[in-house]
Amino acid sequence: MIHLTGIYKSYRVGERDLPILRNIDLKVSAGEFIAIMGPSGSGKTTLLNVIGCLDSVDAGSYTLAGETIEHATDDELARIRNRHIGFVFQLFNLIPRISALRNVELPMIYSGVSPVERQQLALQALQRMAIDDRADHAPNQLSGGQQQRVAIARALVNNPELLVADEPTGSLDSATGSEIMNLFSQLNQAGMTIIMVTHEEEIAAYAGRIIRLKDGEIAADDKRC
Amino acid sequence: MLIFFLDRFYQSLYALKDNLRRTLLSIIGIAIGIAAVMAVGAISKGGNYLIFSELETFGLNSLWVSRDRADKDPNRMVREGTGISNNDYLALTADCCSAVHRISAIVYGTRGKRNIIQANNRYSNAQLQGVDFSLTTIANDVIVQGRAFRSRDISKRRTVAIIGPTVAKDLFGEASPLGREFRINNRKYTVIGLLEDKSRDFLASIGSAGGQDANNRILIPFTTFQQMLGNKKINYLQAEAVTQVQAAEAAEQIIAILKRHNGRNFTYKSETMASYIATTERILDGVAMIGIIAASVSLLVGGMGIMNIMSTSVLERTREIGLRKAIGARKRDILLQFLLEAVVISTAGGLIGLTLGTAASIVLSELTGFPLAPSFVVIVIALVVSVAVGIISGYLPARRAANLPPVDALRYE
Ligand SMILES: Nc1ncnc2c1ncn2[C@@H]1O[C@H](COP(=O)(O)OP(=O)(O)OP(=O)(O)O)[C@@H](O)[C@H]1O
Ligand SMILES: [Mg+2]
Repeated sequence: MIHLTGIYKSYRVGERDLPILRNIDLKVSAGEFIAIMGPSGSGKTTLLNVIGCLDSVDAGSYTLAGETIEHATDDELARIRNRHIGFVFQLFNLIPRISALRNVELPMIYSGVSPVERQQLALQALQRMAIDDRADHAPNQLSGGQQQRVAIARALVNNPELLVADEPTGSLDSATGSEIMNLFSQLNQAGMTIIMVTHEEEIAAYAGRIIRLKDGEIAADDKRC
Repeated sequence: MLIFFLDRFYQSLYALKDNLRRTLLSIIGIAIGIAAVMAVGAISKGGNYLIFSELETFGLNSLWVSRDRADKDPNRMVREGTGISNNDYLALTADCCSAVHRISAIVYGTRGKRNIIQANNRYSNAQLQGVDFSLTTIANDVIVQGRAFRSRDISKRRTVAIIGPTVAKDLFGEASPLGREFRINNRKYTVIGLLEDKSRDFLASIGSAGGQDANNRILIPFTTFQQMLGNKKINYLQAEAVTQVQAAEAAEQIIAILKRHNGRNFTYKSETMASYIATTERILDGVAMIGIIAASVSLLVGGMGIMNIMSTSVLERTREIGLRKAIGARKRDILLQFLLEAVVISTAGGLIGLTLGTAASIVLSELTGFPLAPSFVVIVIALVVSVAVGIISGYLPARRAANLPPVDALRYE
């Protein structure tokens, strides 16, 4: 489903090119649950952004669900992110002034779903995350765990094939973190491909495959089971 | 398409709740600008009414020629007289001048200290004018009852009169004056026509209208008047140019003939309605220009306010922009979102300005008596201008938002 070959990415810092990702070759099949680990600054977020079609690369090729990403225009990338990828962030990234329900509706605004249908689908997504009783709450009226559930509902509402999560438990206590990981496991068992960045071994343990980055290179790729 | 737009519009309202106080300031700026635009509209409209309802009562193509008594040429003998004789007038009426459409002699004066005008012990203080049959046409006088003078009234020196509504009331009360008789300096005259009520309220209120009350006039044949005064003098000439732009030319042609006849003794001067109209229009243009400058300044201030709000808003919502892009917003979606917000602010200001401007125009209408309520065109212009200010001032911030790379926006703290 995901195929990265020879990915190279660097940032220009002053006179020098500072490589962030090097020699990344990665194949991900549908239904996998992957954790990306590594020291701070090793390029985890950058790799995840490349996989999530948010960031461009300097060299290498990338296909996602049969679509070639490196030649896609901005608008095509926006459509691919909208249809095929769900995003979960460490800081939830809910829009503060609108209700949980409206936050979940957002991806459907950009895929052109009618307002009435949008509201129904958003409510269903919140139900699946068991947070529909807080549909009318503003994000600042919700706990961290509740906010992350809303964010996951938002990530899933357009039925993507791929869920991309950057330290989804990074702002949560360990009990709430486990709750979120149980949700991830359930989603994965239902067939969702998940790629997640984490610092914590206990969190990574939920994944079936752990990729370790070091200085922008894949240092280890442990497939269990 | 409409649903889509209303949907986006609704989304943008949320954002504005946040920055309400800053938003209000810009709204006020735009509102003042739009109100000023409408004031300009009302002023030019009022000006047009002034010109075409009150100045028109003098005849828009009218011009006046008289002896220039300010002439102080020491080499010239000081002569008594008006400088215009019946012979001169005969030449002028004989189709003399290409730019002159109609011409009338005007005679005024008193026999004794003043003219005594009375009917059955009711007196009138009307202004008495001796005129030719063409005058009522030249001066746009409408005769609501009876008839105008005919050439025979003039040539036969008939004792007939056309009177204004004030005279009719003073002499005859509410009864119809037509066919009634009254006396001027003890000579009997018959009323053959009643003039329409001429409003010069606005001109009178600004101290203009030449001190004349158009409704308190008695017109009699100038020949009859000359007979009463015992001379053959014409005080001045009132003429109608073929077109308004030919008024000055017409005056020159008349003066040329008068000079040919009397050039050694008199000099002449003229005034044209066209020059009064031009003056009025110049004043109105000046007022409108001040209004347009005021409008532009407040629209500029309002627009800069919106630009400021939108720039701050884009900065504050950098993460939101990144998030929206991550979940599928295209550049044009972000652009549209922020443009719409700017347009909502400016249009809110525009609507308030429209309301204020309309209210002010209505008050002004009451005060001046002119119908100054804004026309459809002015309303459309006001709305178009306010939407345009929103788009122009919102464009740069919106484009900045649309071009933010999603990764950078998401990393933004
Ligand atoms: N816009 C940028 N310009 C220059 N360098 C950048 C930019 N963005 C990221 N980097 C650098 O790229 C490297 C990798 O960043 P990345 O965020 O991928 O690390 P990470 O593994 O996610 O770290 P963390 O665990 O702290 O989140 C870092 O050294 C970072 O400083
Ligand atoms: Mg990171």
